[in-house]
This record gives sequence, structure tokens and C-alpha cells, in this order.
Amino acid sequence: MVAPPDNDVLWARALHVKHNGSPALSGVSLGVRVGEILAVGGPRGSGKTTLLRCLSGQLLPQQGEVWFNSTPVHTMGPHARERLRRDRFGWIDPAPVLVPELNAWENAALPLMLRGVRRRQARTTALEWLERLDIGGCARRRPYALLQAERQRVAIARALVPAPTVLFADEPTAPLHRVDRANVLRTLTTAARSHGITVVLATHDADTAALADRRVSLLDGRRVNTVNLPPAAETESEGRAACSLSA
Amino acid sequence: MLALRLARGARPAVQLRRFLVAAASAGTGFLLLCTLGFAMGHPHESSGAVTRLAWCLAPLAATVQFAVAVARTDPATRPRPGLFAIGLGPARLMLLAAISTAVSCTLGSLIALLCVLHLRGDLNGLPFDGEASELLAGNQPLPLAATITLLALVPIAASVASALSLRPRGGRQSGARTTFGTGTQAGATEAGGSAPGDARPDAPGPPEHPYLAPGPTPTGLPWGVAVLTAGLAVETYASRSGPASGPALPGFHAGGSAGVLIGWALTTLGLAMAGPALTHLSGRLLQAVRPGAVRLLAGRILMEEAGRIGRPLGVVCAVASGAYAMAALYADARPEIGPLTVLGLLIVAGCAVGTLLTAAVEARQDRADTTAALLGLGTPATLLRGAAALRAGALLAVLGPLTWAIAGLAAVPLTD
Repeated sequence: MVAPPDNDVLWARALHVKHNGSPALSGVSLGVRVGEILAVGGPRGSGKTTLLRCLSGQLLPQQGEVWFNSTPVHTMGPHARERLRRDRFGWIDPAPVLVPELNAWENAALPLMLRGVRRRQARTTALEWLERLDIGGCARRRPYALLQAERQRVAIARALVPAPTVLFADEPTAPLHRVDRANVLRTLTTAARSHGITVVLATHDADTAALADRRVSLLDGRRVNTVNLPPAAETESEGRAACSLSA
Repeated sequence: MLALRLARGARPAVQLRRFLVAAASAGTGFLLLCTLGFAMGHPHESSGAVTRLAWCLAPLAATVQFAVAVARTDPATRPRPGLFAIGLGPARLMLLAAISTAVSCTLGSLIALLCVLHLRGDLNGLPFDGEASELLAGNQPLPLAATITLLALVPIAASVASALSLRPRGGRQSGARTTFGTGTQAGATEAGGSAPGDARPDAPGPPEHPYLAPGPTPTGLPWGVAVLTAGLAVETYASRSGPASGPALPGFHAGGSAGVLIGWALTTLGLAMAGPALTHLSGRLLQAVRPGAVRLLAGRILMEEAGRIGRPLGVVCAVASGAYAMAALYADARPEIGPLTVLGLLIVAGCAVGTLLTAAVEARQDRADTTAALLGLGTPATLLRGAAALRAGALLAVLGPLTWAIAGLAAVPLTD
């Protein structure tokens, strides 16, 4: 077992994951440096989400190692990983998954309350973050009364409020239009840089990846240097010619 | 065929619920056939037979309520995006629910028929053969039309009720405030009217729009209290006029007057009507003053689920208070409680509790996404379990003493 380099906050080696037999990751190694914004690129189905879930301790790889700050994550029990996620990691889903019964600030303050912070302090912090993300006005509204972009910002605020060491964002802008997308990404990256939060950002969008410090590409569960797919137009015309009866 | 295929592939818990529906249906069918046997054996006591038939309504209603609750939780009848896309929408699923309910209930009815035939002595070779042949008029042939009518009662009532409860409704989704509403009243009415870009799916939406507006706050409390107090008043008034001969419970010789029974029924009805509002109130109290994470989650979820949980809970409270009052009323006549009365009581109580548990399962299924999100945040599972226990405790603390008090009040005029 090789000890990871010191300046990497997260370090993964030769991850192999299969979902019920179908391979998702085959031998991915990765290091995430402190305070950087790392984009994990690649088309749909290339294993980005699985990689993020492995790194954040939600999923145990069948083979390979994950280290967080020189602590092995892959040997932790479920309770220890749960505590790690609660205390050190933040997670943003592709679509905002909020608790529908709670209003915006309660949703954002929930991670702090789960850590046992007092209600008043949790509320102040959550309201500050909602202000920073330009949604201070809808702090008292329930999720059903918010726009999708506002909900996603609440989800981002919820991930940022406990000041996590690493923030995992899995296609955080996938369900949004381009204007909202740029806004949300700018707020996310600015907040992360100003607070020294390491961000692992999964995206299949080149514009999104351009905001990151470094970029890693996945293709069919393997790490690649460039994602160059064969042009689709030629294969399509070939197929049509082969299938056509009149030709 | 699809209903049978889906029924065969279900998980054990689902099969158990269906089996319980079949058992309840069997019990109710058995009671109905026993009434028929009594009527055949005592052709001159028609009023007694009618009374017995009327008492069968309570188990029948309980069975139908339970069957509807089970049909609503059945995974085979829940809308699924994949099936929705290929055209198996709410209308077809309603049909599917009705068929699977009918299958379970018909199975129960057949079991009831076999039991009755066996106890009459028509089927030989098993223990208890012909044990109750005089109760069930074993010396006369069973009338075919009456038997089929009585046995078809439960399956038909249950299927129609479950189809009605699962019928596709445009109103439920359009009641949801869309994202176009800006929160102000004007914006809400505009979106609720006919906003041009307002997409209204008639199935549960794609996963990115799971946020529906909360249902209206339950307002049944004034009505429930009014009906309840009216029931208590009627009961007290009727009991003052002295014991009169009236519809007694079959198997009892001590009869209460009709007024007392009407008052009693009104009391239980009022309790059932007030159930959702009381549940909502418990949730509101639970999250009232400076709540932490546990109390906040528990209280808000209870407020949200008040409509779903509250009604069966009210029915359970009503049954409990009725059972208490009955125990007080017939305390000295206990040796005379017949086996059929016990069976009826068991069916009513079992179905009420079963409906409540099934509603809780339904609520849990609906909240599965939120629970997964909370667990993803690193919420300890013990915290979620603690919140669930807190909800149960709050409901018990609010409704337990209330039920006990109402049962005591209802029993006071009966025991005088």
C-alpha cells in the first residue's frame, strides 16, 4: 500500500466498479489538490457520477483505494463514511433534491443543524449564504414555490453552508438554461475560491469545464487524455446505405 | 392477465398485504353467509335477521377501507414513468388496481363459502364437519342467488372503491402551484388559471419536478367536534328516556335503545372526521418552539402527511373508543358474547389498524426520494428513526388521552 502524496486532499488509485456486473469504472486513478477546482469531463455514461460517488464515500469500489487527507476511505465502515460525508464533504445533485416540507433557509441550514449547531446560529449562516447566492428574498418560501434555478441555488447553499473541505458537484447545471447555468456556476466557483473549498465538478460541457483549474476526462470508465469520438455523420450514412433496399 | 402477472412477481410484504385483504374479505363473507343461515333457520324472526345484516355493514366498511388502502400502496398500481411512456397511464392503472383488488376479495369470498359449506355439513371428511349445521340451516339447501349476491358484495364494493380512489384526476395536479407563480396571490391565480406555458402532466412528473404544493390544511376539526358533541348529546338524551327494546348487538340480550346507538355512531364519526386536523395540530405543536433538526423534520412531515395518516388514525381512535364503550356497556353480559360477534369485532379492529399501517407504508414510499437525499447529506439513520418515533409519540400523546376521554364520556350514559 503506497502512501498518497502530501498535497493531495483526495487521492484514488485503480478504482474498479461494476454495477450489477456492468462495468462502470475500470482502473481510474486520480489526485485532487487542496483548494483546486477539478473538472471531471466526458460524455454521458462515462462513469463521472460513479467516480464522484466513490470519492465521496457513498459507494465502495470493488477494487482500488480512496484516501482523504491520508485517511483510507475504502476501509471505513458505513457509519464512519456517513460522518465523513456529514462533516467534511458537500454534495450537489444534478437536480436539486430539497426536503419539500422545509422552507429555503431551513433546507440550507439543515446540515448545520444535523451537526448540532444551535438553531439561531445555523439560521444566520444559512441566510448569509442565501444572500450571497442572490436568493435572500425567497428564504421563507417552500421549494414548490421556487423556480428550478432558485432551488438549485438553495441546494448549492446547503452544500456550502457547513464549509466543507471538499465539494462534489455532479452536473450541477444540467437541468438549467444557459443564462442560469452561467450564473450558478459563477457563484459556485467564486464561493469555492473565496473560501478555499476544493471542488470536484462532473460535467460534460466544455464551457463549464473551462472554469476549472484542471481537467480530467473519462471515457467508458477509463481515464483518457482527450475525448475524440469518431464523427457520427459518416457512420450514419454508411448504415443507411447498407440498410437501403433500393441502393 | 397483466394484473395476475404483476401479482405473481410481487415482493412478500405486498403479498402479505393482499393476503390480509383476502382474509378480511373471507371473514366478512362468512358473517354475511351466517346472517343468511340465520334468516333461513328462523323465517319468523325477520327483524332479527335484518339487524344482523345491518351489523355486517361495519365489517364490510372496514374491509373495503382496508382493501382501498392496500390497492393504493400496491407497487403494481403505482404510476411508473416507463409504463406511462408506453401508454399504461392512470386510467389503465385504475383498472389494474380494481382487478387485483377483486381477485384478492374473490379469493376471500370463496374461502368463506367453503367454510360455510363445510360447517353446514355439505363437505365431508374434515374435522368440525357439520358442527354448525343448525345455526346455518344445514337441513335446507343454500339459495344460490342469495349466496352469490352476498359473496359478490365485498369484491364489488372493494373494486369500485379502489377504482374511485385511484381514478385519474386533473384537479390534483392542477391544484399544484407551478413554478410560474411568483408567490404573490396574483401570480398564483394566474398560474392556477391557464398560463400558456404551463405543462400539466397527469402522471407524477419527471424526477426534476417532484415539488408539489402542499395539500390544504385539514379543516375537519370544527365539523368533527360538532358531530362528536351532537353524538354525545343524543346519547345522553336517549339514555334518559330509559332502556327500550332496540337493535341490540347479535348475541346480546341486553339491548341499548336506537338513540344510544345513533349517538354512539355519531361520536365515532366525529372522531374519524377530526382525525386529519388533530394530526396536523400534533405536527404543528411538535415543531413549534425553536426546533432542532429532529423536531423540525418530524413535525413538518407530520403536518404534510396529516391528510393521509389522519383519516385512518381517526378511524382507529373511533374503533378504540367504540370498543371501550362497548366493554363498559356489556361488561356484565360478557359470557354471552358469541363467536360471530368476536369475529366481527376482530375484522373491524384488524382492518382499522391494518389501514393505518398501510397508510404509513404509503407515506414512506412517497417520501423515499427525500429520505435518500437526507441520507446522502450524511444524516444518521438513527436521527430519521428518532424523528419517526417522535411522530408516533406525539400522535399517541395527543390522540390517546383524547380517545380515552371521549370513550369515557360516551360510556357514561350507557352504564347508568
